[in-house]
Amino acid sequence: MAQSRSAAGACKGATAEFPAGLRVLVVDDDATTLRIIEQMSIRCRYRVTTCTEATVALNLLRERKGCFDVVLSDVHMPDMDGYKLLEHVGLEMDLPVIMMSGDSTTSAVMKGIRHGACDYLIKPVREEELRNIWQHVVRKIWNENKEHDNSGSMEDSDWNKRGNDDTEYTSSVADAAEVVKAPKKRSSLKEEDIELESDDPATSKKPRVVWSVELHQQFVSAVNQLGLDKAVPKRILELMNVPGLTRENVASHLQKFRLYLKRLSGVAQQQNGMLNAVPGTIESNLSATGRFDIQALAAAGHVPPETLAALHAELLGRPATNILSTADQATLLQASIGLKHSHAEHAVAYGQPFVKCPSNIGKDFPPSFLTANDMSSGYGAWPSSNNTMGSVRPNNSDERVGTQYNNILMDILDHQQRQQPQQKQQQHQQQKQQQQQPLIHDQSCSINVQPSCLVVPSQSCDTLQAVNGSASVNQNCSFGMNAVIDYSLLSQKSNNSVSASQFSGGDTKARAVLYAHTMPSTCSMSSINGSIQQLQNSTLTFGGARPLPSPLPMSDRQDPYGLKSGDSFDQVCLRNIGFIGKGTCIPNRFVQNEIESSVSDFSQMKVNVDSTGNALKEEPNFINMQKVSRPIVERYQSCDHSSVFTE
Amino acid sequence: MLGFGADLLWADMNRLLAFLFHQGVLDEQFLQLQQLQDEASPNFVSEVVNIYFHESEKLLNNLRGLLMERELSDYKKMGIHLNQFMGSSSSIGAKRVTNICVAFRAATDQSNRAGCLRALEMLEHEYCYLKNKLHELFQIEQQRALVAGVRYPVQNQ
Repeated sequence: MAQSRSAAGACKGATAEFPAGLRVLVVDDDATTLRIIEQMSIRCRYRVTTCTEATVALNLLRERKGCFDVVLSDVHMPDMDGYKLLEHVGLEMDLPVIMMSGDSTTSAVMKGIRHGACDYLIKPVREEELRNIWQHVVRKIWNENKEHDNSGSMEDSDWNKRGNDDTEYTSSVADAAEVVKAPKKRSSLKEEDIELESDDPATSKKPRVVWSVELHQQFVSAVNQLGLDKAVPKRILELMNVPGLTRENVASHLQKFRLYLKRLSGVAQQQNGMLNAVPGTIESNLSATGRFDIQALAAAGHVPPETLAALHAELLGRPATNILSTADQATLLQASIGLKHSHAEHAVAYGQPFVKCPSNIGKDFPPSFLTANDMSSGYGAWPSSNNTMGSVRPNNSDERVGTQYNNILMDILDHQQRQQPQQKQQQHQQQKQQQQQPLIHDQSCSINVQPSCLVVPSQSCDTLQAVNGSASVNQNCSFGMNAVIDYSLLSQKSNNSVSASQFSGGDTKARAVLYAHTMPSTCSMSSINGSIQQLQNSTLTFGGARPLPSPLPMSDRQDPYGLKSGDSFDQVCLRNIGFIGKGTCIPNRFVQNEIESSVSDFSQMKVNVDSTGNALKEEPNFINMQKVSRPIVERYQSCDHSSVFTE
Repeated sequence: MLGFGADLLWADMNRLLAFLFHQGVLDEQFLQLQQLQDEASPNFVSEVVNIYFHESEKLLNNLRGLLMERELSDYKKMGIHLNQFMGSSSSIGAKRVTNICVAFRAATDQSNRAGCLRALEMLEHEYCYLKNKLHELFQIEQQRALVAGVRYPVQNQ
């Protein structure tokens, strides 16, 4: 079944309207979810088409090529596996595909990434998540244009990062919208944009340089020529001879490059056998560096591996000792400390703490580490050890965890040949990009470990939004067939975990769902509390909750719900708990007294409850009003579910 | 007196909702559904819920059929049905039902027939409960709309 609805108010080319009018195809065998997502899409003012069958959807896409911008597909479908659809769409139509599933296990998400999904949404999908999907469309188009763009790799990649800034967005977004709607014109439009933006580098903010592979290659060869120890930005700049590139660009890039090499040198020990070894010239740690870069850049397909190998081997061969020299270290150390945002640390942490660097740079990272075993035993181990992502232990000999994470990830992706180089490349880019964006990541980047969830860098959530799209998709895409290297900034989020980034936008709800699926009883408790909280806040939205005045004659209308329900616990709970917190939010005749009385006045509540004529004997547990809900909920939650398993 | 009735009904509805939230029968996703309802789609919630009921009954029948087979039960197929059931239940915010589906699916993964049977019973029970409550909710909603409609000549259905 395929229906079309046009979003009200979708206008073509109106700048302020984007992403309204986005043409979405939703495929899901579940009619309920389909209807809901359809409604959400309409709310987002997308032009949505729905399908219950993958085969129908595919035909639709084939018939109407160029009529859709993005595809949302369920993973589990009866007629065709969602992943297959994903592949087909990727191959034939090259549209961004977003997967949806109730399955939030890491492996499932990983599978989505591997098959090239742009994003992976966990059901139940919320409207906010749908509002964000346009980013994948824009990003894809921009990346494709970047590939065509040979005239140099400088673009002002600011635009796609300032997600929340409407005013700044309108122009770029309008262009994007037009690009979306008129694919043929896209390259020309794009170039115009670039020229427009780079017209006045002096007046606008310093345009951020995007280090494409070619550019980086030029950079590397320049550095190579000069020798890493002797490579100064000025000379590199001269050698590179790229118009528009400034000394500052080169300087920062050089910094990052050095950090990158350092990082890799520590990772080297872990990489045995995981990657094709460049004929290991050096016993030293740096051999891996060569491998990484080679693989990474080779994956881009721009540089023949041998050339790169030679390049890097030479590059690294010489400064084998130099990189570790104290002078360099000091410089780097200061450089990194100087970088306000601690992304430097993150970048480093991703791979490796500073070799031989005595002090812990920047933040305090919790020193817990995962061992390889923990990791490979499954990502289940992750939640408890997510802080390793950010941990930097300036410890020489190690194969420790920031790198471990890397390694483990490598392991897991090991059988995917192309993935590792892409990932390394990506990390490389991340590192570089992170350091190019000090403004955005100005705040402390310490990862906040939430004990029960995957890492959610709480503070940076706002900035995450700003760099949002690029970051998450970059993570996603890199593991797919996509050989395009995305240079968009990888935010903090990406450091935490690859799979965390799969959960769209650092979505705590997704995580809650994850837990809901794995630990029904405990999770339901917390989400009940969550929902209760929300209930308190939102009953107001039910139309302006109007607490009933007490004097209304209620007694004759005994609460039918309480009494009728078979579960005596429910009655008890309802009466005992009342409604936690803001009683006034919820008009409830039986707790009318509680509404008035203060929450903490428990004794009064008890009296009131008793006075309604119900004998309740469970009081002793309700010491703390705040916690009241939990014991109750726990109690009858466990009642409900544990019986399934007992015996 | 009419206004009074409307108020009472409204209070009833809110109370029922609050109760259901409290019990964990519904969760915040249901609120999302309510928010999606607007003038353009004034019956959205009931529409979706009806779709859900319709689909769920089919699924439940299938599940029961599969489980009652005397030969080896097709656990895999059950798992597939359960996936769908889980997806739709979580989409409308039927939390308890979803949770039981999870447990049920775990049982199918282990090919634990006794566990599956129990889970199925619980599932059916929970589903019936949910259905009844939601029907009640819609009834109150309808009454309220009627009452409000009589009093204020404003459409809202």
